[in-house]
Amino acid sequence: MLVAYAAGELDLETAGALEGHLAGCPACRSLAAEQAAVWQALDAWEAPAISPDFNRRLYRRIQNEVRLSWWERLTRAFRPMPLRQALPLTATAGLLLMAGLILHRPNPVAPARPRAETVRAEQVETTLDDLELLRQFAPAGSAEGGRPDAM
Amino acid sequence: MPCKWVRSALLSLPIALMLAAAPPAMPQQRPDPLENSIDRWNRMSPEERERELAKLPPARARLIRQRLRRYNQMQPQEQQALRQRYQTFSQLPAAKQEVVRQRLREFRQLPTARQPVVHHEVEQLRLLPEDQREARLNSEEFRGRYSPQEQQIIHDLTEYLEPPK
Repeated sequence: MLVAYAAGELDLETAGALEGHLAGCPACRSLAAEQAAVWQALDAWEAPAISPDFNRRLYRRIQNEVRLSWWERLTRAFRPMPLRQALPLTATAGLLLMAGLILHRPNPVAPARPRAETVRAEQVETTLDDLELLRQFAPAGSAEGGRPDAM
Repeated sequence: MPCKWVRSALLSLPIALMLAAAPPAMPQQRPDPLENSIDRWNRMSPEERERELAKLPPARARLIRQRLRRYNQMQPQEQQALRQRYQTFSQLPAAKQEVVRQRLREFRQLPTARQPVVHHEVEQLRLLPEDQREARLNSEEFRGRYSPQEQQIIHDLTEYLEPPK
């Protein structure tokens, strides 16, 4: 409402009510003063005058655009771009590329089961000895051990 | 406007890099906790196994082949119980493993009639809480019932071969 007030767009009744409020509210008064300052500055600003041959140059340029050959139109996109325009585009393209790589990264292939490590026959023999000892430490009648047969 | 773009892009870059660097969650095959050297041996190709066995004298290699066949032909339940016990054993420090081996050999040398008695005692002691177990091992009744060698076997096997809680 303050913006509309500063722009002079409020009807008399609403503007009167707002002014009544502004009289007792320093915060809104300050805002209204700032808005008024902006509007005054805009009113005081004068657009720079265009050159006398502005229209002529504009129309010539439009005509030239129309006359561009198909090759010029094709290659225009690849002409060097000013850094100010190129940088954000490059950065955005880079980010999109990175996001694409992250989101569409193919499922990582689970590492193939490592090649079975080589176990020495002596090591197996020791394990068999231990297993046999452990197997024999069992109740005589049990299914799991206590048997005299060697493993 | 371009400045805002550049700023947003530069601010997003570290986040994107962190996401890219984070390793993706990948289903991992959990190793068998009971795996022992025989399991690894069984995974070797027949050629590799034969190559290893060929390093030993033929008679010894033949015996190992026979013992492996018997182990692999064990009932699954029986084999699983044995693997479990071996796992407990193999996690002991080498010195304790040697003590257990010695006690098991001594157990095997006990008179056949004494073996189930000693085994039963070990099983009973394993069921007891620590303090009660100690009390039992130090009781007159225990000492009167078992020879010093049997007491040692019972003590060490109860302590070292206790399955993990």
